[in-house]
Amino acid sequence: MGLAKKIMTWARIKSPWIIHFNTGACNACDIEIIAALTPRYDLERFGVQLKGTPRHADVLVCSGPVTRQIEDRLIRIYEQMPEPKFVVAVGTCACSGGVFQGCYNIKGGINAVIPVSAFIPGCPASPKAIIDGVVKLLTSLEEKETVKKDA
Amino acid sequence: MLNEEKIVQELCAKFNFLENQIKITRPRRIFLETTEEHFAQVFDFCIMNLNFKHLCAITGFDDCDKLSVMYHLSGKDGILLNLKVSVPKDKPVLKTVMSYFLCAEIYERELVDLLGFKIEGLPVGNRYPLTDDWPKDEFPLRKDWKSSDHMKA
Repeated sequence: MGLAKKIMTWARIKSPWIIHFNTGACNACDIEIIAALTPRYDLERFGVQLKGTPRHADVLVCSGPVTRQIEDRLIRIYEQMPEPKFVVAVGTCACSGGVFQGCYNIKGGINAVIPVSAFIPGCPASPKAIIDGVVKLLTSLEEKETVKKDA
Repeated sequence: MLNEEKIVQELCAKFNFLENQIKITRPRRIFLETTEEHFAQVFDFCIMNLNFKHLCAITGFDDCDKLSVMYHLSGKDGILLNLKVSVPKDKPVLKTVMSYFLCAEIYERELVDLLGFKIEGLPVGNRYPLTDDWPKDEFPLRKDWKSSDHMKA
């Protein structure tokens, strides 16, 4: 691994940039995501920063079940993100479709459309659960890096 | 005399076939049901003469043997007039009310997509609110609709 890549991985783990995307949520999970990001719960102490465009983001934070109308848009947002990219599904609906599963306008959970790295259940997922999920995702990345170094 | 009673009297005076079809369920709420043939003139009278100038919403019903629509009109003093009309299920054709309310287009498109109404005079446009690849002969809000194979994909 080159030095530049090492620095990039280090920076990614120390300060992941996220983009939040509502795929059809009722807004409850969105409120909780905002609560997790803002000073009361303060995800920013882990270097997490909310970005305005998927092109700057490492992590796609999705809330809500994937509706049939949003499916294409979700894929487009996902494809705009640079590699390596991670997806976090926040809330029960995002994890499985929740109560909307089988509904005529619902495709299912986020993983019905794009690969998901972390699931955070809850209706809505509490800010503490979101922080826990994000930290677990970052820890798993760190572990992967250490494994690579040892090998 | 209450305003809504005045409105009911005016309607009955103009259309005597409506007498048993009008109900005031509670203050400021009038419900009336018309047949398909009389609908156009009753609707016109409500808007032009009784001053119901605002269309709040259109509700679609699947009444098993027929399909129905309810136009929720609001007038002065917060009075709501709910005008219901039914059409046979095998020929669910209605005329558009876009000449009175331009905003009705979006409600009527929903009736077309979700319940399978045919609205005469509705301009050609995209599907709404279903996706473009939705099968033509499936209407998800009908009672006999079952999700088919393409739903499970």
